[in-house]
Amino acid sequence: MGEIKIAAQSLRMSIHTRMQYRVDSLVATLAVFVREATNIIVIYLALMKFDKINGWNVNEMLFLFSLLFLTYAFVVSLFADLRDFSCMIREGRFDRLMLRPRGLLFQLILNNADIIASIGHGTLGICLFLISANKVGITWDIPTILYYISAIIGGVLIQGGMFILFSALSFYFVETNSIREIFYWNMRKFAGYPISIYNKLIQTLMMYVVPFAFVNYFPAQYLLRKEDMADYNEMYMYIAPCVGVVIYLTAYGFWRISVKRYKSTGN
Amino acid sequence: MQMIEVNGIKKYYKVAKRDKGITSSVKHLFHRNYQVKKAVDDISFSIKKGEIVGFIGPNGAGKSTTIKMLSGILYPDEGKLQINGYIPYKQRKQYVKNIGVVFGQKSQLHWDLPLIESFELMKYIYKIPQNLYEENLEKFTKLLDMENFINQPVRQLSLGQRMRGDIVAALLHSPEIVFFDEPTIGLDVVAKEKIREFIKYMNETEQTTIIFTTHDMQDIEKVCDRLIIIDEGKKIYDGTIDGIKNKYANSKTIEILLENGEKEVKTFDINKTPMNEVMEGLFSKYHIKDISICEPEIDEIIRDIYEGRVALKTTDGKVGEI
Ligand SMILES: Nc1ncnc2c1ncn2[C@@H]1O[C@H](COP(=O)(O)OP(=O)(O)OP(=O)(O)O)[C@@H](O)[C@H]1O
Ligand SMILES: [Mg+2]
Repeated sequence: MGEIKIAAQSLRMSIHTRMQYRVDSLVATLAVFVREATNIIVIYLALMKFDKINGWNVNEMLFLFSLLFLTYAFVVSLFADLRDFSCMIREGRFDRLMLRPRGLLFQLILNNADIIASIGHGTLGICLFLISANKVGITWDIPTILYYISAIIGGVLIQGGMFILFSALSFYFVETNSIREIFYWNMRKFAGYPISIYNKLIQTLMMYVVPFAFVNYFPAQYLLRKEDMADYNEMYMYIAPCVGVVIYLTAYGFWRISVKRYKSTGN
Repeated sequence: MQMIEVNGIKKYYKVAKRDKGITSSVKHLFHRNYQVKKAVDDISFSIKKGEIVGFIGPNGAGKSTTIKMLSGILYPDEGKLQINGYIPYKQRKQYVKNIGVVFGQKSQLHWDLPLIESFELMKYIYKIPQNLYEENLEKFTKLLDMENFINQPVRQLSLGQRMRGDIVAALLHSPEIVFFDEPTIGLDVVAKEKIREFIKYMNETEQTTIIFTTHDMQDIEKVCDRLIIIDEGKKIYDGTIDGIKNKYANSKTIEILLENGEKEVKTFDINKTPMNEVMEGLFSKYHIKDISICEPEIDEIIRDIYEGRVALKTTDGKVGEI
């Protein structure tokens, strides 16, 4: 109960903050939307020429993308403080959380929501979903809907878990931004396409190291059943929603150990 | 009952030594030279419930580091620490329910929102019952004179107003122990006075145990019963303010008014010249109409101690306790 009240108050504060800069927030949200949408349009135009990539047509590609954007919308509203964690440490804001009688991760997750990025990515995700969902041959019956929802939750947990892992690393190293830049943001760019188009190395990375494949590729495969799935273990489609839980729990465990090393900055 | 029991705590920071140039920054990636900084080096003290203790020392003495260990943010590298029955760094969640911490240099308030929003968040985080919350909020805002800015975004507040907001945010849950790290830094005389009165009030009415650090000796004189001085991570004094005046005041100032109306001011060292010798000397030299002996200013004594002009330790090497 109390937890929900904290969550509600925190969200209220995040929204209230943005509302003070209404025009600014609107423009920023639009900017996020346009930036991401432009990428999609470029791909869309390219696909008009090629027709298909590894058997995936335009609508299927957009569906693949929609999963990435929808999950990310939740990720930035929940894990914004973990995304910006090294900054938090540097500014000593993390100290504050230690002085409050609540779990640290709990506070980090509830504290700040990046509403701008969330709305920007979320709207685009919804648009892509609406455009593609009815044209890719999915029958939206109850089991399918349930799978879809758990796949979204799993995708959020995978990315949230990765943010937690990267944050925990900053208890050991001063500079973790570049590691995250390489492993998270670059790999995320690859995740827009079916992983079957990449070489073995990148595929391996996407499945076992930075498992974006379980955020969108395998869930989309479960729903679409394209031929390139033959290259992978069929199980992967079914376990995709569970991968998130496993990664999240692993990340949580690592976090618990690492946070003990925390030594705060001066002053 | 001892509220705070600190036994030989140490905190060493490892600071990476960095040389300039590309080759050394490449080397730096693989191998680092660390320099150990002894921020807190074997400090012990105990504090009873309801005491107000001033914690002073020159910049970099280790005050903030000590406060961080007391409040559970840092683990001591060595030593024991028990506060209100808890070991702060081990039982963090339970322990922090009973403490409030104010870092004067770092706000915990939400920059873009009115104070009241941050207070509301505290209410939920600490599970403060609504009636206690309202009671405390009303009392504090009155005492600290905050009624007219409680609905203004924090970014529009002056430093003194913001500090008052931070103090309230840290005390809404009626903690039994409060640590203030420089709560009067950068404030004007009036704001300082308000905060001092408030701290005193909390201590007197609620029996709140208080430790606070400051660089302003007025704070100490007006608020604290007891003073702990640390320097380079070591405790060099623990006792009353009068005690330090008596013990370390090596100079006294005498003002004499002469028969012819002129004034003379003399300073002398009572350790070198006993009082009666000084007096004899003065009376034989001047025709004195009036004489007054001024107590040394605490500021001067502290300055002398920081600058090492005063022997900090008694001859047997023990910390001066009075
Ligand atoms: N995170 C850190 N890493 C390395 N050294 C640190 C760190 N924090 C503090 N120090 C060093 O430890 C010593 C004690 O610092 P501390 O902040 O406790 O001093 P202080 O007494 O609060 O000083 P001030 O009056 O300036 O606030 C200083 O020499 C400082 O440089
Ligand atoms: Mg300090």
